[in-house]
Amino acid sequence: MELLVCVKQVPDDSVTVTLDASGKPNLGGITPVVNAFDTYALEMATRFKEANGGNVSVITVGDLKENEKSLRSCLSVGASTAITVSAGDADAACALACGIPAAGTYDVIFCGSESTDVSAAQTGIRLAAALNLPVVTNVLALEPADGGLTVKQETEEGYRTVSVPTPCVLTIVKPAYDPRYPTMKSKMAARKIPISTVTVDAPAASDAAKCVKISAPAQRQAGVKIQEKEAADAVAKAMGMLIDRKLV
Amino acid sequence: MAYLFNEEDLDLYETVKDFCENEIKEQCKEYDVSGEWPTEIYEKAAEMGLNALEVPEEYGGLGLERLTVAALMEEMAKADAGFVTTITASNLALKAVLIGGNEEQKQHCCDFLLDGKHAAFCLTEPMAGSDAGNSKTTAVRDGDEYVLNGRKCFITNGAVASFYVVTAMTDKTKGVKGMSAFIVEAGTPGLSTGNHENKMGIRTSNTCDVVLEDVRVPASAMIGEEGQGYSIAMKTLDMSRTWVGCGAVGIAQRAIDEAVAYGKERITFGKPILKNQALQFKIADMEIRCETARQMIAHALMLMDAGKPYSKESAIAKCYAGDVAVQNALEAIQILGGYGYSREYPVEKLLRDAKIFQIYEGTNEIQRVVIAKNVIGKF
Amino acid sequence: MDKQSILVYLEAQEGQIVKVSLEALNAAKQCAAKSGKSVAAVLVNAADAAASAAHYGADSVVTVEAGEYQPERYAHILKTLMERAEAELLFVGSTRDGRELAARVAAAFNIPCVSDATAISDEGFVRSIYGGSLMETIAVTGKAVISVRSGTFGKPECDESRIAPVSAETVADETQLRAVIRESVKELAESVNLEDAEVIVAGGRGMGSAEGFKMVEELAELLGGVVGASRPAIEDGWVPRNHQVGQSGKIVAPKLYIACGISGAMQHVSGMSGSGFIVAINKDEDAPIFDVADVGIVGNVNDILPLMIEEIRARKA
Repeated sequence: MELLVCVKQVPDDSVTVTLDASGKPNLGGITPVVNAFDTYALEMATRFKEANGGNVSVITVGDLKENEKSLRSCLSVGASTAITVSAGDADAACALACGIPAAGTYDVIFCGSESTDVSAAQTGIRLAAALNLPVVTNVLALEPADGGLTVKQETEEGYRTVSVPTPCVLTIVKPAYDPRYPTMKSKMAARKIPISTVTVDAPAASDAAKCVKISAPAQRQAGVKIQEKEAADAVAKAMGMLIDRKLV
Repeated sequence: MAYLFNEEDLDLYETVKDFCENEIKEQCKEYDVSGEWPTEIYEKAAEMGLNALEVPEEYGGLGLERLTVAALMEEMAKADAGFVTTITASNLALKAVLIGGNEEQKQHCCDFLLDGKHAAFCLTEPMAGSDAGNSKTTAVRDGDEYVLNGRKCFITNGAVASFYVVTAMTDKTKGVKGMSAFIVEAGTPGLSTGNHENKMGIRTSNTCDVVLEDVRVPASAMIGEEGQGYSIAMKTLDMSRTWVGCGAVGIAQRAIDEAVAYGKERITFGKPILKNQALQFKIADMEIRCETARQMIAHALMLMDAGKPYSKESAIAKCYAGDVAVQNALEAIQILGGYGYSREYPVEKLLRDAKIFQIYEGTNEIQRVVIAKNVIGKF
Repeated sequence: MDKQSILVYLEAQEGQIVKVSLEALNAAKQCAAKSGKSVAAVLVNAADAAASAAHYGADSVVTVEAGEYQPERYAHILKTLMERAEAELLFVGSTRDGRELAARVAAAFNIPCVSDATAISDEGFVRSIYGGSLMETIAVTGKAVISVRSGTFGKPECDESRIAPVSAETVADETQLRAVIRESVKELAESVNLEDAEVIVAGGRGMGSAEGFKMVEELAELLGGVVGASRPAIEDGWVPRNHQVGQSGKIVAPKLYIACGISGAMQHVSGMSGSGFIVAINKDEDAPIFDVADVGIVGNVNDILPLMIEEIRARKA
């Protein structure tokens, strides 16, 4: 099967983002990384390929230069082809919906269930709607079935088994395993793979929803820190404070 | 890190750094206490290809620059010096084969490392450490075979290696000129290992005796020719010393990193302790030593690249880096004070790990002998 | 069904409206109060919850009977009702299914969807970005779907004397289902009510093991509280994922929050920083959790927690 993984480069999500003087997110010093959910998607696609055959490609929206490092890192952990979509001011789902048919024919399109920067969890669903494909969200596992796939969907209280025909879109959550590390060899091989760019004429993003303000959440003040040599002393001190406040 | 200039190498470095940070640095702590062999860590490292960084391109390796490999080795050492010791020791054995072996031997041994296996270099004996020529291990020709007998000690990877490079006397009357080197594969009858040494540091590496009792190897297992063993071993050590230095620099750098991180946070008399110039100067001196050692290593590696003599420079690099690792570890402990002496904090381990770098692969005294000989010459 | 009212889709289980749906109703009412519109609650296959929807303040209730839950089917129903009502806004509680339905309906209309709104300001809908590091305010014009983050709006007041007109709508099941749910398995037996808890004792990676995590459970039980967890503890399988607090879990605001062995990544802190009083126990004195803690104990949880448990037990006796 031809498997496509949509990836997005985001600021390292282990770093707290602050506002700069002009009130914009200060992303300058933060390392760009592949969205964690997209790395789960890539790992899932790669495992599927290893078990069932096929090819894994990755696609992203934006400038090749800015995204090259992220795409090469995808190429070192399972993807064999990488594509960028240049789509002007279009939103991601729209750019992908225009770019994907231009890039090739795919049986399964994987997306991370959400991105760690915006966390809207919409791209996969909107992409599926624009391509008129079925979509299953929050996927934990998949296997081939007659005419399509059987997938395991994570729910609030457990999971569901969902049948879906291919081609389709899946949005991926964190499975029980971690994405693999690249090997020295795969890392070096990834340097040599050409990355193609698809330029599409996509409609500009609608301004029906506009971000009008970005603010920092209210900061809590740090209270007292108890550092005692003996754990018993520390506990006694802390308990004293809780008792004073009638919290226990 | 300071060795790297291009984006691609930096990217490789980031990958290894990431791996070391996430899979080695914290995990090795419990093995440092238990002294057990961290199988899982080494399996993951092998999977990643960290065993085979020095395998030449023509034998299936990656063809990395020596300086690039050095940066990666330093990063591994920063995470855990025992870990890098294991990797360096495998490559030490491989170097002997690459220096003195034939094509078939080279490919065969490279394949082991490419496969994620370990190797051991067996020169040291109970009565032949710095005085390697005093070897009691013998190899006696018997038809198409050699029969090896003897006892090697302090062998890194002794119990985990897939192949061993063993030196043995084929002609005792000739002294060091009667020494030969052999490739002995794990599982060869008569080859056994003694107890795992309970070491002060580098506790994630395996060190033990390797015992040879009527071990029969085909004559084709000899590296080079009869009598070349000592020369091959010395050339191997000449080259390997620089790499050992890399490990020492990793420790020295970690000592700086830990001291700076702590010194910025630790408040005494109302300000972080690193606001005191006395401690700033300590950090500066640590950095001077560390960076100088790193550049000496880079210099020795560049001489290797250029095909120039590097024996003296390699000895300087190892000797200096080993001393610097110990000094920086001591200073880091001093900066952390009581916490530095506590096993809850990482710096006391650095000192325990650092000490071996003044001892193994030629004590720092032997390095000074090599350096002096190079400078003074025969007279 | 009132024309141009604000719709809110209420998920219900056995006649009980789920909590986050009530929060969505509350958000819808906030919006309605500003615009002078009315709020129509939508119940699919849950007509038995109609009275309850009225008690919580829905101005009218629309019930639809349809086949079993399938995202495509339900999205179609909501889309159809939005069209019929000429509604500009649809509110949905951010359960996993709710968040998906919101995006599906928005995608079908090609209109904006604000995911996981946490507040409504004069300028628009507030939601968190960058793992809770920052908040963005989204102003929408025209039609939009809003999903509401659990633990942010609170339940509306319940007045059992309140009644509302209920209309049964029929929506032709014309959707050709493509992705089909074949089986649903409930793995997590107990339901976890973190949002309403007065005391939460939460554990993270620092608890070390499933065994170690038991101390968190013990302390929670002793204090009559609920067990919470940060992502690493969930991922390591020490505690089921419905205990997760933070970005991909619940937003909570108990009177007392005890964080044990939790380093305090932004993704966790953003879910619990509204707590009344925060106690943090961590052996790393630089752990960011201490930046939000009222009392921070620097020490090993394995030493501290047993003593704390003992102390509380002694006081109770």
